[in-house]
Amino acid sequence: MKIKRHKKLKPLLPINSMSDIAFLLLIFIMLLSLINYRREIKIEYPEAEYQEVTQKDKNFELYISRTGDIYYKGNTVTIGSLEGCLVDVLAKNPDTMVHIKADKNTEYKNVDGVINILKLLQHRVVSLVVKETE
Amino acid sequence: MNIKRKGKKGLDFADSGALSDLAFLLIVFFIVIAVFNINKGFILGLPQKGSTKIVNVEEIIKVSLDENNDLLYKDRKLTLDELKILVSDRLEIRPNMTFLLKIKPETAYQNVVNIVDMVRELDVENFSFAMIEE
Repeated sequence: MKIKRHKKLKPLLPINSMSDIAFLLLIFIMLLSLINYRREIKIEYPEAEYQEVTQKDKNFELYISRTGDIYYKGNTVTIGSLEGCLVDVLAKNPDTMVHIKADKNTEYKNVDGVINILKLLQHRVVSLVVKETE
Repeated sequence: MNIKRKGKKGLDFADSGALSDLAFLLIVFFIVIAVFNINKGFILGLPQKGSTKIVNVEEIIKVSLDENNDLLYKDRKLTLDELKILVSDRLEIRPNMTFLLKIKPETAYQNVVNIVDMVRELDVENFSFAMIEE
């Protein structure tokens, strides 16, 4: 009697669903990065060695350019209007971390103006953002 | 004549491998971008405006920083390294010492960051800074 031999099946990994998962993950991460999108102002960050992560769940970022202009969400703001913005944000979320991103060549008085507002508002913590020394 | 019908070939499972590779590469890209967006710097506690604290005079190191990046301690010019040695020596004798920095308004922000960086490096607990009002 002739015995039929079973053909050896090629080993295959079913990775069809893998690309689906990957694309779902991709969409999720892209959406997350869109939510966290921020308008960067071009400044030269000051450099330091001993920095720590200052990012919190709620963050308020403001930029101070070399000339002393203050930017919030990509728009120039005056000290007065900044105070208003800060009051609104801090009233909603008192735990908001205020990040000051000032150009390394700006005069200190520009940074001090912002710090003084925070003191006036009795906000106890501020983050001075720097980059790692190259 | 018996014509052999070609069996319908299903989708090869291995075909979508490149697609998932691409998707995962994109995911890695977005994750890396998200990591770069994290703020790093110094978290500083702010006092209430106008508040005062009584400190033993012997426990204070008062240094002023001017617009030329000159550090002045008791009318003596110091380099950052000399100041570091002075502060670390004082810390050994008086661990609760207060480092008081007076900053001229025109001082470049990077110079202030350098001092804060040094304070962090030496683990000075009591650090106070203020702008010299003109």
